[in-house]
Amino acid sequence: MAKFLGLDKLGLLIKTIQHYGGIRASLYKLYRMDEVKIGKLVGTDKYGNKYFENPRFFYSRNRWVEYAPKYGMDYDGSQVPAEWYGWLHYKTDLLPMNDPSRPKYKWMADHTENRSGFPEQYTPYSTTTPKIEAWKPTKQ
Amino acid sequence: MLRLGISKVLSGAKIQHVAVVSRAASDIAKKPEKIEVFIDDKSVMVEPGTTVLQAAAQIGVEIPRFCYHERLAVAGNCRMCLVEVEKSPKPVAACAMPVMKGWRIKTDSEMTKRAREGVMEFLLVNHPLDCPICDQGGECDLQDQSMAFGSDRSRFTDIDFSGKRAVEDKDIGPLIKTIMTRCIHCTRCIRFASEVAGVDDLGTTGRGSDMQIGTYVEKFFMSEMSGNVIDLCPVGALTSKPYSFTARPWEIRKVDSIDVLDAVGSNIVVSTRTGEVLRILPRTNEEINEEWLSDKSRFAYDALKRQRLVTPMVKGCDGQLKPVDWEAALLTVAKAMNQAGNKIGAIAGGLTDAEALVSLKDLLNRLGSENLCTEHTFPMDGCATDLRSTYLLNNKIAPVEEADFILLVGANPRLEAPLLNSRIRKGYIHNETDIAVLGPKTDMRYDYEHLGEDPSALNQIASGSHPLAAKLKKAKKPLIIVGADAMARADGGAIRTAAMKLSQELQSNIVDGEWKVLNILHKVAGQVAALDLGYSAGVEKIRNADGIKVLFLLGADEGTISRDDLPKDCFVVYQGHHGDHGASIADAILPGAAYTEKQATYVNTEGRAQQTLVAVTPPGQAKEDWKIIRALSEILGSKLPYDNLDQVRYRLEEVAPHLTRYGAAENANYFKQALAISTMAKGNISNSPLDVKQKKLEDFFMTDAISRASPTMAKCVAAVKKHMESKY
Amino acid sequence: MLSSVRKAGCSLWRGVVAPRSIQTSSALQHDSLFVHRDSAADNPDIKFEFTPDNIKRADAILAIYPEGHKRAAMIPLLDLAQRQQGWLPLSAMHAVADMLKLPRMRVYEVATFYTMFMRKPTGKYHLQVCTTTPCWLRGSDEILETICKNLNMKVGETSKDGMYTISEVECLGACVNAPMVQINDDYYEDLTVQDTEEILSDLKAGKRPRAGPRSGRFAAEPLGEPTSLKGEPTGPGFGVRADL
Repeated sequence: MAKFLGLDKLGLLIKTIQHYGGIRASLYKLYRMDEVKIGKLVGTDKYGNKYFENPRFFYSRNRWVEYAPKYGMDYDGSQVPAEWYGWLHYKTDLLPMNDPSRPKYKWMADHTENRSGFPEQYTPYSTTTPKIEAWKPTKQ
Repeated sequence: MLRLGISKVLSGAKIQHVAVVSRAASDIAKKPEKIEVFIDDKSVMVEPGTTVLQAAAQIGVEIPRFCYHERLAVAGNCRMCLVEVEKSPKPVAACAMPVMKGWRIKTDSEMTKRAREGVMEFLLVNHPLDCPICDQGGECDLQDQSMAFGSDRSRFTDIDFSGKRAVEDKDIGPLIKTIMTRCIHCTRCIRFASEVAGVDDLGTTGRGSDMQIGTYVEKFFMSEMSGNVIDLCPVGALTSKPYSFTARPWEIRKVDSIDVLDAVGSNIVVSTRTGEVLRILPRTNEEINEEWLSDKSRFAYDALKRQRLVTPMVKGCDGQLKPVDWEAALLTVAKAMNQAGNKIGAIAGGLTDAEALVSLKDLLNRLGSENLCTEHTFPMDGCATDLRSTYLLNNKIAPVEEADFILLVGANPRLEAPLLNSRIRKGYIHNETDIAVLGPKTDMRYDYEHLGEDPSALNQIASGSHPLAAKLKKAKKPLIIVGADAMARADGGAIRTAAMKLSQELQSNIVDGEWKVLNILHKVAGQVAALDLGYSAGVEKIRNADGIKVLFLLGADEGTISRDDLPKDCFVVYQGHHGDHGASIADAILPGAAYTEKQATYVNTEGRAQQTLVAVTPPGQAKEDWKIIRALSEILGSKLPYDNLDQVRYRLEEVAPHLTRYGAAENANYFKQALAISTMAKGNISNSPLDVKQKKLEDFFMTDAISRASPTMAKCVAAVKKHMESKY
Repeated sequence: MLSSVRKAGCSLWRGVVAPRSIQTSSALQHDSLFVHRDSAADNPDIKFEFTPDNIKRADAILAIYPEGHKRAAMIPLLDLAQRQQGWLPLSAMHAVADMLKLPRMRVYEVATFYTMFMRKPTGKYHLQVCTTTPCWLRGSDEILETICKNLNMKVGETSKDGMYTISEVECLGACVNAPMVQINDDYYEDLTVQDTEEILSDLKAGKRPRAGPRSGRFAAEPLGEPTSLKGEPTGPGFGVRADL
């Protein structure tokens, strides 16, 4: 009956709001992530991103990432490091910390996010000399 | 050795050659009756002594040739010009054989064809088959003529190439690349070096099939016109080093233009591809440069891509020049000019065109300033430059070779105007011209009488107390050529007056009404136009004017004025195309166009107006100079009344009509009046020795903002210096 | 073996298809260079001056040629320099150019054109062995071999002590006295191996060997009795048809 009236949904909503710690916090989540949903926290990477799973949602929406609060609204997909990428995109069901075959070497570089559109973005440079060499004023 | 007595020249077999190269010789010889010869059964009347080849040319029959060249002595060693003459058992070499009365010459007969085919076959036996990697490919005489006259199949079956001759390459400097295996021994380069350039460095060594063209020892081809051997070479043996492997002739666009790196105004063809100037070649103009070009004009083009001003710049609050857009730059300049009121000065450099000069003058005059001057000094006392005859090469360039006596005063034409010097040398060789030099002793490539360096010798000659005076007075066609360096002296006015006085005296002996004794040789292309337009010469005016607030440098790069000459708060604007001295002292920079990038008028030292055409677009945001000044005038609120080139030229025509009569050299007159006013000026000739700035070949290559930015010219200077240490 | 068969086949084929093909000989290059290379023996720093005697000779040579045509004295002067030095170093060419007030290149041109100007160090005795056909038929090969063996040198070489240079030359115009050898200015003709050895031992001893034919002939007359033209010369009209 409760299901028929949709009271379970209401219950879930209340549960979710409670989980996030009040209406204000929940509205902020909604503003930041466009959705509020609860799931099981399966892991946190070294950058502070949290990974959730909730099989209640259908496949492709049941795994998600909640970006670290330090990113604020400036989060994007490239902030997910490579080891979590596979789990997040259903390439594997093994969590990175549980994956025995995942190589780990000292020399492996840290994950870097894509900085296109920012001042520190990568810009390719021309290797040919310009046709016209401009005069450069000498520093005075 | 080349200098033959005129009588000998006229009686000897060289007559045909001299008749072509020297206008003077044909004047002296009395006109004999013409004789009739038949070329391919067409009758043609020619003067006795005409060669078969010239007679054929008169009716438009072209005979193939490699070694023959109109402007060089006849060698007759390539044999390509063999033609059949009726009743002659053997074919004759058309370039060397004078025609006889009634000869029937067959340029299209079986025998002629076979002779050509045979010669071509022998030339090709030892010529490498490397056309695909040869820079001459596409403009090669050997290629063209083997297509037209050669055999259509090869009998050369030596697939191992064991029999082909190979010759080692010579190193003759940074301009000319030699691939001597390709040489067909036409000896054009040797003849050019020895006759025109006067540098007997090239020759043939060895003999028979081992003969090679070269210098025998490791030697730089020390000439200021060495590049012409590249054009002369009918094959790819001598090619341009800076242009090597750059482009094929069918890929490039050619634009006729004018050279501005000296005051001769040589006609050039600018070859471009994809907005780049690839090379510069001479264009024939019998009145000016014949078909030669000086090395600076030919090879300094690589500077058009270096040290360029491509964006407007304004000095920021930190005292550094920063690139800005046109609007900001023009507003900054306009603000400074508005504040300055009429305390504005302008200096025009040597590479400035007449359009920019006239618009700048109009602008400054509208703002109430008359402080317009050129960078290069010229005496302004006495009659100043009101009469054109006081600052032109009045007798024109071409007749220089007819002169029988030339007095050079404080000039080194070899380095200041190489093509004028080639005319003097031509007169010296073919016309018994005597040359005397007043000024420093330099190597001019002809013998001359040195009169010392004391300019007062001019007065002595005029008064008749100098030993040279008698000789000069006897001369039928004397010339006095006064150099720009003599005119730039403090006593330049007095020297000019003395020269005018002397030439006026000589003028009275002359029968030829068109002959003008007094000639001034300028060094830069912009000077005559600036004087025509009423600029005052020399920067003294700016130095003496007090409280100049804005100084407008229009391509002034010689460093004649520095920051120390100007008030502290003076705002310096530089408008030009290269970052050189002018740009380094500027507070604002307006990028202009170089001579290959604008359609502009230049007036050469003989007063001939010529125009350059646009070969490439100006780089970056650079604009044509007159357009910049026009834009500035609008912001200043005193808009100049011209919006397009035609209107600027209409304005030019209003000021000085001859400036738009392109190609024609307006005669200057009023010599007597000029002298009369000139003598009223005070000042005497000082006895400090006459000097010229360019004395040695190494001083030739880098003289202006363009050539100073050229790596090729820098290489030339280094090569000359290195050669000076060599023992050869 | 195979390649020679192929070559022969090719030439046969070519002979059939292109009967007029141009014959190219192997690239025979001259044994001397026609460009100058600085070396220890020949560079522009080496001083060359005419001896006082030779300056007198040079003046006499120059006096022959009229003013304006002094450059014609170039070959005699170069020869004079070569006789003084034994060969013609670069500095000698420069000295001649300065003497004639000519560009140096004009002298290089002449000096490289004539093979008798030796532009590299040459021995005191320059042995020029003629090997052109008449001399060759008369045994010039043996003469050359004798000389080479005797002096222990090869053709074109100069002995280490600077005494001898052997050259193989083309016809020297003494075919009637073949075989012959020219040593400096002298002709040694009608040579046998024995004569050659004798000449060489004379040279080694510092003596000047007797020049001319070695066969007992005075000049180019027939050896022994004349064989032709023995009778009186016939007069005009000899052998002409009677009716003319």
